[in-house]
Amino acid sequence: MSHLAHTVAVRASGVDMFFGTPENQVVALKQADFEARRGELIMLVGPSGCGKTTLLSVIAGTLTPQAGTVEVFGQRLDGLGQEELTAFRRKHLGFVFQSFNLIPTLTVIENVMVPLLIQGRPYDEAHARSLAIIEKVGLKGREEGRPNSLSGGQQQRVAIARALVHEPPLLICDEPTSALDKDTGGHIMQLVRDLSRSPERCVVVVTHDHRIFRFADRIAEMEDGRISRVVDDPKLLDTTHL
Amino acid sequence: MYRLALNMLFGDRAKLAMLLCGLAFSALLMAQQSSVFFGIMSWTYTPMVNIRAQVWVSDPMVEQVNDAKPLRDTDLGRVRSVDGVAWAAPLHTSFVQARMQDGNFKLITLVGIDADTFAGAPAVLTQGRIEDLRLPDTVIVDEWGAALMGRMTVGPDGKPRSVPLKVGDTFEINDIQARIVGICKVKRAFTGGPFVYTTYDRAKGYTLGARRTLSFMLVEPQKGVTPGELCDRIERDTGLKAWTSDTVIWSWGERSLARNTFWWFWTNTGIPFSFGTAVLLGLFVGIAISGQTFYSFVLENLKYFAAIKAMGAGMGVIARMLFVQAFTAGLIGFGLGAGMAQGIGRVMIEKGMPPFVMYPQILWATFVLVLGISFVSAIIGIIKVSRVDAASVFRG
Repeated sequence: MSHLAHTVAVRASGVDMFFGTPENQVVALKQADFEARRGELIMLVGPSGCGKTTLLSVIAGTLTPQAGTVEVFGQRLDGLGQEELTAFRRKHLGFVFQSFNLIPTLTVIENVMVPLLIQGRPYDEAHARSLAIIEKVGLKGREEGRPNSLSGGQQQRVAIARALVHEPPLLICDEPTSALDKDTGGHIMQLVRDLSRSPERCVVVVTHDHRIFRFADRIAEMEDGRISRVVDDPKLLDTTHL
Repeated sequence: MYRLALNMLFGDRAKLAMLLCGLAFSALLMAQQSSVFFGIMSWTYTPMVNIRAQVWVSDPMVEQVNDAKPLRDTDLGRVRSVDGVAWAAPLHTSFVQARMQDGNFKLITLVGIDADTFAGAPAVLTQGRIEDLRLPDTVIVDEWGAALMGRMTVGPDGKPRSVPLKVGDTFEINDIQARIVGICKVKRAFTGGPFVYTTYDRAKGYTLGARRTLSFMLVEPQKGVTPGELCDRIERDTGLKAWTSDTVIWSWGERSLARNTFWWFWTNTGIPFSFGTAVLLGLFVGIAISGQTFYSFVLENLKYFAAIKAMGAGMGVIARMLFVQAFTAGLIGFGLGAGMAQGIGRVMIEKGMPPFVMYPQILWATFVLVLGISFVSAIIGIIKVSRVDAASVFRG
């Protein structure tokens, strides 16, 4: 196995994804190739409708592409059935959503416990681990409150805690700062970077928000359903259309 | 996850309250209407409860206890001669008009019992003595009848009020005086008339013109002979119809006159249809309200269920979460509804109207139906969640 194979966390090759009927087809991904490495935070950027979210869903195993291969931490996803994909997500993935998706009728700590309980961890263990990560995201003392009693930034901190509590190797963030102001967005991205930084973890962030590009190790730009280029320096991107 | 599922349910108090209202109302309607139904049906065979004897003998054409077809007095001798009979006593039952002192008429159930043995006499007398029935023109009236047939008078406030009949009061049956010598406690009957007990011979006098007055014969088997065996012997030797007197609905045998009366009313009246409709209404209302509310609860939480799916929860886990939520709501709803039905039942029993009999089986059946409603609600929710694409969580 080559050195490269060891460093690749996510690899999507020749991925096609289209929606609708053959007569009225919408092409979301067209021969898309994408690669993310272990230990890096990579951002997927591009104009609306370019296929960012679809590619993210394919990588997350919530959508199955019509063509191409997807490999996440050495596991081919394109041949897996729904149950295997579900089990894969349970073990390997953490999610931070654009609209937080915190369950409003549960407390902060109960929300954070969800991934551990899905994995079948005992309640007490899930509680202890969740408490520890809540402290790490700076919300100690708020664990028994309801999400709607928190600010947007605090809610996204809870979402980050929930995404990382089971220590997944792949963290998927979908527009994590779009509902936040500039400063809060910056703090959140700093938190994602600080907490998720690990040689064995890969973070894929889909965003429109050019203010957070500076947190990326690399940035993959998408256009018309494929990756048009990958840059190391955000300054190299033309952000006027984002 | 089940603990979180419950917290999700209890966290939305408005929805929970709505859900519980639907389930509780449904449970209340089903339990209360079923109990009133069985209460009314239990009234149909009231004579079997009030007039105790192990075996009843009737004309072969009799189908139920309220429909006596008079026998010849000589039939009593034929029954007494059957092997295994310890004793047999005559019984007269009929519906007649009683004329009150104020001129009003009331329909009564006249019961004529054997003056020698008092077989079939009421078990509980609150006033008077049974032996006084041997005095001329005497009757014993039931408590409820005494109140119903009471004298109208003017109270201290100047308003008219009814004073219940008491020992010593009189009224008339077919222009013949009936003097009250006792007040008894008996169960009320479907036919509505108060029970008025007298001796068999005097009952003949009260029903002037009736050629035959022997409605039933009350029979006691000899020691070692079961009521069922005796019924067989009586039917074989006399050609008459013999019945057992068991009145416990869940254990009565095929020979039970109470059972035959119950089923006669079941098939020949609209009572089961009427109450069955109310019970079905309760079931449908429960399904409609609870199903709709639970569906709305699922819809409101749909994006969270999608997120949970995306995070790696299989449909099995989510289905179990929804079942836990639906069944928990069902249990609480059943408890509230059954409790309210019990409360209403207590008031009904105190007032005596309408009749109310809540068998444990009614509660069990209601429990099963409420869980059925919860099951349907959960299935509706599960179908909805199963159709949600986990990828939808990335669509904002």
